Amino acid sequence: MTSDNIMIQVRDLKKYYNGDRIKALDGISIDVNRGDVMVVIGPSGSGKSTFLRSLNLLEIPTSGQIIVDGVDITGEKIDLDKFRQKMGMVFQHFNLFPHKTILENLTIAPIIVKKENEETAVKRAMELLDRVGLADRAKAYPVQLSGGQKQRVAIVRALCMDPEIMLFDEPTSALDPEMVGEVLDVMKELARDGMTMVTVTHEMGFAREVGNRVVFMDGGSIVEQGTPEKIFESPESPRLQDFLRKVL
Amino acid sequence: MQISLDNFSRVMKYAPLFGRGLVVTVLLSLVTVLLGFILAFILAMMSLSSVKILRAVSTVYVQIVRCTPMMVQVLIMYYLLTGIISFPRVFLFGYIEVGRFIPAAISLALNSGGYMSDVIRGGIEGIDQGQTEAARSLGMTKGQTMRYIIIPQAIKNILPSFANEFVTIIKESSVCSVIGVAEITKQAQNVQSATFISLEPLFVATFLYFCLCFPTSRIIAYFERRMRASDQR
Ligand SMILES: Nc1ncnc2c1ncn2[C@@H]1O[C@H](COP(=O)(O)OP(=O)(O)OP(=O)(O)O)[C@@H](O)[C@H]1O
Ligand SMILES: [Mg+2]
Repeated sequence: MTSDNIMIQVRDLKKYYNGDRIKALDGISIDVNRGDVMVVIGPSGSGKSTFLRSLNLLEIPTSGQIIVDGVDITGEKIDLDKFRQKMGMVFQHFNLFPHKTILENLTIAPIIVKKENEETAVKRAMELLDRVGLADRAKAYPVQLSGGQKQRVAIVRALCMDPEIMLFDEPTSALDPEMVGEVLDVMKELARDGMTMVTVTHEMGFAREVGNRVVFMDGGSIVEQGTPEKIFESPESPRLQDFLRKVL
Repeated sequence: MQISLDNFSRVMKYAPLFGRGLVVTVLLSLVTVLLGFILAFILAMMSLSSVKILRAVSTVYVQIVRCTPMMVQVLIMYYLLTGIISFPRVFLFGYIEVGRFIPAAISLALNSGGYMSDVIRGGIEGIDQGQTEAARSLGMTKGQTMRYIIIPQAIKNILPSFANEFVTIIKESSVCSVIGVAEITKQAQNVQSATFISLEPLFVATFLYFCLCFPTSRIIAYFERRMRASDQR
């Protein structure tokens, strides 16, 4: 594997809260390659969200490096907003903008951040919305949508910025069970199209079926990682074995 | 002391004075809410800023406004402003003396802004943190996030408070009579001295304040209900 295949290099990333009493991340090092569908699993409080949110610096790390396309984004004089454009993020609670229509949710960032003209932005937004089967809801407001629909819109909103990587933080955890499938389907399609993805999820089925790498975190560290087969069929560390016994 | 119809009819000869007082009170209150809103907004932004000095200035200002009497503030601003600037003796509509109206509006606004900045800050802080995160993750700057995402949502929470502040200011503006602004209270005093009737002019003033404040607060309450209903769209 050549080095220009590496998209994000994480080096000894640490995030402490309350001085150093809470070690949410305690030295994470990992590479995300182009086209990876990385699934992060682990017990509650293990630092999965903190890790994901650090990747686009929604969380400012205490120490360590995050190197994106060869540039350390934890460095001082970095145009963070520029880097965040490259990384789409999908949240557990959707975080759609309630005062804007679905279409406006999708076009606002392209228009004001990328200075796209409205026509172009609307055209692409409608195409993408159509792909997730929600073109007819373009004029609706977020409150009028079901959870599953909201999350599909949230995914499209991130895609409208043409990101190079998509970060998902438990995208299906706040959904009623019958809506989990429709969101996972959109994510599977994205993965098939070659999108680089880092996904925190409790959906082990998704991890097995779609992921090419599974990372198991516990206590702020990466305890074990590997292909889905290795992680799920022959876990090595006792902590992973214990975790899998509980969730599977 | 007698409250008599006769007294009232003598007082009512001065109805035009009360009319002017009414206009002054309404104008003064409107100008105050507008200026006060701008100041409150700036103070709120300062208190939410990451720059420590700005936060400190904002806090100190708000505390000074809150912990000193309004009448003293009005008097100080009046003597301060008229000491620095010599206002031309201009009368708006022929009876609003600019040299008294402006210091009154400014001091009321300085006071109101101090009280309302917390309301604005609360309105902004009340917006779910996830909104900011979503906006930032899309590459919006802090400023863009505030302008396009946070403030439009916060306004909805803030607006009713400002309408209510308008009602408060209508009442509080009566302290401006101490610097001779010819608003309702001052006009009532003028009528008192012209007629040597003490109580009835004040009843008229009371009636006017009530007629301003009661319908206004009803209307605000109505729109607040409507807005809440539309949230459950
Ligand atoms: N803002 C914060 N202040 C203090 N501690 C925090 C903060 N955010 C996270 N933590 C702590 O950091 C640790 C890791 O949290 P994180 O949210 O990353 O876990 P997680 O793996 O995502 O858990 P979950 O599965 O419950 O979402 C936890 O112990 C959490 O309590
Ligand atoms: Mg989490």
